[in-house]
Amino acid sequence: MLSPILLGQAVVNGISLSAIYILVALGFTLLFGIMRVVNFAHGAFAMLGGYALYYVYGRWGVPYLIAAPLSALGVALAALVLERLVYRWFYQKMFQSMIGLLGLEMAIVFTAVIIWDPHERSVPAALAGIVEVGGIIVPTDKLVIVGVAAVALAAFYLFTKFSKYGLAMRAAAQDVEIAAAQGIDTTRIYQLAFVIAIFMAALAGGFYAQTYALSPLMGERPLMMAFIVVILGGMGSIPGVALGGIILGFAESFLGTFYGGSVAVFASFGAVILLLIFRPWGLLGTPET
Amino acid sequence: MTDASLSPLALAPRAGGRPLAIAAAVVAVLALVPLVIADKFILSLGSTVFITAIAAASLHLIIRTGHISLGHAAFMGIGAYASVLTVMELGLPFAAGVLAAFVAPCLLALAIGPLVLRLTGKYFVLVTFLFGEIVRMVFVEWKSVTGGANGIFGIPAPAPVFNDPAAYYYLSLGAGVLLVGFIARLLASEVGRAIDAVRESERLAHCSGIPVLRLKVTIFALGCGIVGIAGALQGHFIRYVDPTSYSVVQSLNLVVVNVIGGMQTLVGPLVGTLFYLILPEMLRGYVELQRIIFGIILIIVMAFLPGGLVELGGRALQLVRRRAGS
Repeated sequence: MLSPILLGQAVVNGISLSAIYILVALGFTLLFGIMRVVNFAHGAFAMLGGYALYYVYGRWGVPYLIAAPLSALGVALAALVLERLVYRWFYQKMFQSMIGLLGLEMAIVFTAVIIWDPHERSVPAALAGIVEVGGIIVPTDKLVIVGVAAVALAAFYLFTKFSKYGLAMRAAAQDVEIAAAQGIDTTRIYQLAFVIAIFMAALAGGFYAQTYALSPLMGERPLMMAFIVVILGGMGSIPGVALGGIILGFAESFLGTFYGGSVAVFASFGAVILLLIFRPWGLLGTPET
Repeated sequence: MTDASLSPLALAPRAGGRPLAIAAAVVAVLALVPLVIADKFILSLGSTVFITAIAAASLHLIIRTGHISLGHAAFMGIGAYASVLTVMELGLPFAAGVLAAFVAPCLLALAIGPLVLRLTGKYFVLVTFLFGEIVRMVFVEWKSVTGGANGIFGIPAPAPVFNDPAAYYYLSLGAGVLLVGFIARLLASEVGRAIDAVRESERLAHCSGIPVLRLKVTIFALGCGIVGIAGALQGHFIRYVDPTSYSVVQSLNLVVVNVIGGMQTLVGPLVGTLFYLILPEMLRGYVELQRIIFGIILIIVMAFLPGGLVELGGRALQLVRRRAGS
């Protein structure tokens, strides 16, 4: 049963799952780390990203490598309206944001049900072929997803680490008031972080819709996964997201390959609950004082 | 301890003469409804309102300790399955089913309570969210007992007489008065004050000699047991149980009821239940629109009105009084 080919297949699957999970969870943790908002509406933005990709790439035929970032950017910029109308009231209010944004998720999802009926659609694959490396079959589609995700993650890392705005974002995450006192326009920085977070969620949503299926209710699973990844790595910790995403992606791929899908879900949920009980701040997070 | 030795502040939230009189009047009116209206639909809606009110009030009890559970429907489901299996598989009477519906979720809550109730705020919300999902998956996967995703059909009424909607109306009204009354009495008692103290500051409560964790676990188990009874009443009312009836969405609905009504007093979940079940009747045929409206209400309540509809009513009343006084 444990043939090297099967093993290789599981590794490849693990990498592509990890990439999607990291993208979703990164936006989630960014909103939490900087604005102290628990974004329960994250899955809804992933769903919108899926629909955007469906139109831009599937319907209008824009080349994939342009269509994927373009549709995610479109969702993120449109979401700025919601930032002004909804999110701004919940900044720095962790608890209220949880319930309030659950309400936003409900409102977005059911608006989507009215606009696009609840039936599943499919987003065409980026490339139809497969690549065979030493007996391991890799759909080219997955390679493209991993590639785009890797570029997005690298760009995000470089941006926060080396640009002026990235520095301002990190300062605002540490202490908003002090950051504002140093002359940082925190309203703008919040908007920037918001756009980045939603961009990544929408991008991941597009991949997700491509890998599975597109429907107004598809956001639930990415949201769950973002949750689990973020809890695993530690809320608000960016390296934690990378670690959590890789652990979860590989765990799901391996357990799913060898023991079946439901065992994989049980095991990861169970592990996360145990972790939450004994180390609620996650693997790489810091305990709250 | 006599009341005289307590400060007026401590006495304030006590259920005094007037709230009790209002509650009695409301119950009396509700008891008269079936005599006036024989419409089956209205009576069934009434039963649903009472069952939901029990569930929402039991969640309120837990919320009062400062913990919002996003897995409450899972315990409701455990109660429903426990009762249904006791009646259908073991052939025992409905009373035994209700007992099982209380005991099973209560025991589970006692087992996990000491672990999960150490967590605060958002972590508790996340753990209960995942726990609820796990319980739902158990309902789906454990096919030999729960019937899998299809659930269990053909559940008998508690007794032949309860096939009549009016009889079920009285059954659920009675259960509602009993259980909500119990919760109200508990919250108004010494224990209720300890609960409020724990919510306001665990450390201070601990220093004042309140066994914080033991109290929280007891209240959690009690709340889960009571919602189990609500689950049993629901299962035998709609005649089938299935995993989707007790999913995270349902847990969320119970939280919505509490948030909309207001989380500070027991009246909140009751008002919330009415609002939650009556509004959809006015928007029938527009299920999506209902959800959108609820979503927007949630946002508005959380952003501007943390006390919910009860707070809104209170403010309006104050305004009227001030006008009348001046």
